[in-house]
Formats: sequence, structure tokens, C-alpha cells
Amino acid sequence: MRYLSVLLLAGLVASAATVAAAPDLTFMSTQMRPITEAEWVRTVLLPPFTTETGVPVVFLGAEEPELTNRILAEFEAGRGSLDLVGDLHGNFLVYYGALKDLGAELAQLEALGDRTLAQSFVELGRIGDAQVYIPWMQATYVLVANKKALQYLPSWADPTTLTYDQLYLWAKKIYEATGEQKLGIPAGPRALLHRFLHGYLYPSFTGAQVKKFDSPAAVLMWEYLKDLWQYVTPSAPLLDSMDTALLSEEVWIAWDHTARVKTAVMERPDDFVVLPAPAGPKGRGVITVLAGLAIPQTAPDPASAYQLIEYLTRPSSQVAILEGVGFFPVVTEAAGAVPTGGLKVLADGVAVQSASPDLLVSIIPGGLGARGGEFNKVYLDSFTEIVIRGRPIKEVLAQQGALLDALFRETGAPTPVPDVYLP
Amino acid sequence: MPRTPALRSLASEKALPYWLILPTIAYVAVFFLVPVVQALLLAFRTQDGQWTTRFLVRMVQDIQFVSALRFTLLLLAIIVPLQLVTALFIALLVNTRFRGSRTFLYICAIPLGISDLAAGLIWFSLFTQHGYINSFLYGLGIIERPIFFLSAQNTGWVLGSIVLAEHWRATAIVLVILVAGLQMISRDYLEAAEVFGARSWQRLWHVTLPLLKPSLQSALIIRTILALQMFAVVVAMGGRMVPVLAGEAYYWYYLYRNTNVASAYALLLMVISALLAWGYLRFLRPREVRP
Repeated sequence: MRYLSVLLLAGLVASAATVAAAPDLTFMSTQMRPITEAEWVRTVLLPPFTTETGVPVVFLGAEEPELTNRILAEFEAGRGSLDLVGDLHGNFLVYYGALKDLGAELAQLEALGDRTLAQSFVELGRIGDAQVYIPWMQATYVLVANKKALQYLPSWADPTTLTYDQLYLWAKKIYEATGEQKLGIPAGPRALLHRFLHGYLYPSFTGAQVKKFDSPAAVLMWEYLKDLWQYVTPSAPLLDSMDTALLSEEVWIAWDHTARVKTAVMERPDDFVVLPAPAGPKGRGVITVLAGLAIPQTAPDPASAYQLIEYLTRPSSQVAILEGVGFFPVVTEAAGAVPTGGLKVLADGVAVQSASPDLLVSIIPGGLGARGGEFNKVYLDSFTEIVIRGRPIKEVLAQQGALLDALFRETGAPTPVPDVYLP
Repeated sequence: MPRTPALRSLASEKALPYWLILPTIAYVAVFFLVPVVQALLLAFRTQDGQWTTRFLVRMVQDIQFVSALRFTLLLLAIIVPLQLVTALFIALLVNTRFRGSRTFLYICAIPLGISDLAAGLIWFSLFTQHGYINSFLYGLGIIERPIFFLSAQNTGWVLGSIVLAEHWRATAIVLVILVAGLQMISRDYLEAAEVFGARSWQRLWHVTLPLLKPSLQSALIIRTILALQMFAVVVAMGGRMVPVLAGEAYYWYYLYRNTNVASAYALLLMVISALLAWGYLRFLRPREVRP
């Protein structure tokens, strides 16, 4: 017993020494790691916080394994130097046991009354019984429509609550009126088509990204996609992003990552509207690349870390982040605070999508390690075989489904969101 | 210091050539042989050093494998003969030494200096929806709306465009080799044939072509191997619609991040190249003329 108290005392002295030697708040993040972004965080985003609170912040960009290993090592050692951690949802799943429960801090934030954190994101941050992280910022994929296309939208359809059936009718009507296939889905060699398949269509039609890969609902989904593809621009298999196709008006309606339509919307903000992705029978399947903020259990200064979380989730900081590095707010009030122009058009669209009542959030599966690329390949190959080459759907799904099962079995990757919620 | 016999033989004149080629050998060993062996090992060994055929099996069973192999061989079978005939035709034309033949040769060789991806993009910009060909046809009033040459509905058009682009881009290398070969053929043979009353096509068939065999052989080997590696043009114009073996190797390496399967593809390409090269060497061997 005495031995233990000596150890404890030694630990206290040691941590006191660390605090005394480094009073700075240490903030490590896998996001905003590129040099120019990290520089922006240090010189633009954080200085007002230091001026306000008197707490200097050391911002460290880190690769995913570096951050994970450091947190786990500090947790095992029982003392650490990291105060605040910024990371993606999928990575938190690996080390959430080493993080502090932020339930009280969340309540404190919400009590401030100036910010409404998107509820679906807050729930994602609840892992096990703890609020492991506070939502920080997001990237996602949306629909962008040229305003010329809106007149062809079926009159009973609301563009902000579009369904996949309505999207089909819309594209069909444009084709019948103009003779051109004006729907854009990027399917080039470097396109993000796989995200559309596993994170948008699959959850919307089957309620899952992976679990229902080879199911009757999936067959219906592929039949739908084959039908829809008649109205997709024939050059889609060569398009890697939708920017240029939107600007050249080769397409009028396009689905893509926000970063890959940004140029078009920024260049001609008055010509485009940004809409939520369509919904299917099981909901509005949407991928969120969600970054959160967490405090390690071993953080030397959790109180200041909370202050920094409070600062970073303010609507004004959220807007600054959008303008600085292009990540979208997770706080509803922020969308209204974006000045004007293309960025506002984009932010409004993303905000409407995040607030959709039938939203079915998907998180890009983590834990596949180096084999994440093979996960994408399963979906891309299925697409090529079914839609481009016209092979029988069931045959392809059986073959590719076996590969998908093997991939999850061999890597031991956790079941992704939203599949985990299925019975 | 007295020299030992070993040292003396190392410094002898007999050893000199070996010293001189040593840098080349070292270069080839370090930058060619070692990577080849490493690639071979990658195709057959897991990360923890277990020997396996798993990666080969994965490659062969892959859903894209058969299409990739088929498209590669199909493109090879169309492009190489086509280029050989064109190059031979131009080479014979140049060899007549007409006025301006040198300038003509230089113009024909221009595509040699253009990177294959750039060539792919040039042709892509010709064939694309708002490309030069469509604009031209539209301008003339021949078409009402753009034709999609490069689309999944028209794999034939896509293949045709790739063949055209490759034909434009890589015929020059064959041409240059054949022109050099033709210039090495002594006029005496042709004059002798003429004396014996051979017509011009007989001279071509019985004198020029047989004497050109070594050049044809080199041109075929080089061109076939390059055609097997063809990839940038195909990706620029065919995207995912036309898979080829070299493209699959690239995708497995960069997109699917599986170096083992990528190596298996590289190995397959090497085996096909070696077999075809052996075939050319075996069947195009210049016959010894016996008295």
C-alpha cells in the first residue's frame, strides 16, 4: 500500500513537472496535416483562442498510425502529454478506450445555446456507453444541379427531399426534352464511384453498406442503377470528377464529393444549386467523413482542452474552417453564417443534407488497413460487370460477395455504420 | 611492394574488357536484376515469408482478368501488324530517296518525342463529346448533336480510337528501325537482281524483305513488348471500359494497394513478352544461304 502511494506521488510529481515544463496545450490531429493547412491552423485558426484564454496551443499534424500508437502508449503508461485529439470517426473506434467520457462537456456545450450540433453525428460519437468525441467537421458528397435542370423536375417533387425514383424521372425527362443524357456520376479510373455504390445506393436500398451486399434488395438496387444509367452521360466512364462536366454543361445534375464540385460552384454560384443526395426505400444514405475532437484520459490539462473544443465548435470557427480548408460545419448555425457566393451555396446544401430527417449516415469502413483498396474494387468490379458489361446481377453479386466476406473475415475489420444497427 | 600473381592478372590486358563493362553490369544488376528478383518474390511470397500461389490464383480468378487478357491480346494482334505494314510502306517510300524524303522522315518521327499519356490526351481531346472531331462535324452541319465515340455503349469505337492513337504514336519507332535496316542493304544485290530481270515487286519480295529480316525482328520484338506495356493511352481513352494487363498491374499497385497481385500481373506480362520474343527469334531467323 505504501509502495503504491509512493508510486502515485512520484507520478503526480512527474506530471506536475511536465505541466510546469510545458504549459502549452498539445493538440494532435490527423486532419489538416498537409503543411499549408497546418500552417493555417497555427497562424490563423488558433491565435484568437490564445489571445482570448491566454493558453498557447501546440498543433501537431500526425499520420493515423502515429497518433493511434501514441495515444495507446500514453494510456498504457498512465500519463501523457496530449491534451486534445482530432481524428476521423473510424480511427476513434480503435482507441476509444483511452479517451475521456465527454458526456458532461457535451451538455455544457449545448447549454451555451449558440450552437446546435447535428444530432446524428453526436450519436456516432457515443461509442460503448461514453461520449467519446464531440463532432468537429465533416466532408461529404452531394448532388449539384444546374438551375436549367430544375424546370424538368416533376412538379410534385421537392428537390431538397429527392428520392432515387424522382431522380430517375428527372433525368429521363431531361433526356426526352433535350435528347441528351445530362446526369453525371463519375466513373473514371480515379473517380469516387465506389463511394456512391457502397455509401449511397447500398444503404438507401438495403439499409447497409456490406451486410446486404448479395440480397434481393441489392438486386433491385442494381436493376435501378442499370435503368438510371441510360440517362447518365455516355462519357461517365472517363470522368474522374464532375467540376468540368458541370461547367461545360455536359451534365446538368451531378453527384460527387464536395471537393470535386467545389470549383464549379465557386466559379458560377448563381447557376447551380446544391441538393441532398436522394433517398431510397431504406432512407437517405449519405457518407459522412466525420472528424471529431476527443480528450485522452491521460490529458494533462483537460479543462483547457474543453475550452479549445468550445472554441472550435463555435459557428464562427466552423465557418473559418470551411473557408480555410474546405471542411464543412457540423453546427447548424454555421451554415447561416457563411458570407455569400459559391461557398454558401455548398454549405447550405450540406446543411440541408445533414439535417434531413431520413438521413442514414454511412461511415467509410475502417480497420481494413492496406486492403481498403480491395474493398473499393469489389464495388467497382460489380459495377463494371453489371452495368457496363451487362452480366447477370445475381451471378456477379454471389462472386463478389464471397470476396467481400473474405476481406472482412481475414482483416477482422469491424462491421461498419449503419450495418451495425441492423438486427 | 611486390605484386602477387593474382593482382597481376587483375591488372593484365586480358582483364581490361571486364573492368570496362563492370559499371554496366553493376548498373544492370542493381537497377534491373535486383528489382526483377524482388518482383518475382513478391508474386510468390507473403509478407511473413511464406511461399504461396495465392496471389497468382487471386489474379487469375479476378473478375477483370479475362477481359484484361483478351483486350491486351486483341489490341496487340491489331496494332502490331498494322504498324508493321504502315512502317514498312513509309520506310520503302523514304528509301526511294525522293526529294524531301528526309524532311518527310523527320515529320513521321515526331510522335516519338511525345509521351504516351500526352498522346492519349491529344486523341482524347479529338474524340471527346466536345472534341475537335465533333465540333468539326457539327460545324459542317453533318451531325445535329455530338457523337459519343468514347462511351460504354460503343466499345468498338473506343477500341478503334485506341488503335488509331497507338498507331499514330508508336509506328515511328518501327519506322526508324526499318529505315536504318533498309539503308544497310547494299545496292549491289538489287542491281544484281535487276540484271537477272527481276521486277520491282520480285526484288522487294526476294531480295529486300529477306535481307531486312534482322531489322524486322528487332522492330517486332521492341514494338510487341511496348504494346504489352501499353497503358496510358488506354486509360486516357478507355477508362474502365477497356481493361488491359498493364493497367491492372497499375491499379492493383496504386488503387488496391496489393503489391503481391500487382507483381503477379507484372510477372505474367514478362512471361508473355519472353514467349513472344522467343517466337520472333525462332521463326524469323534469317536463313543461312547455302551454295
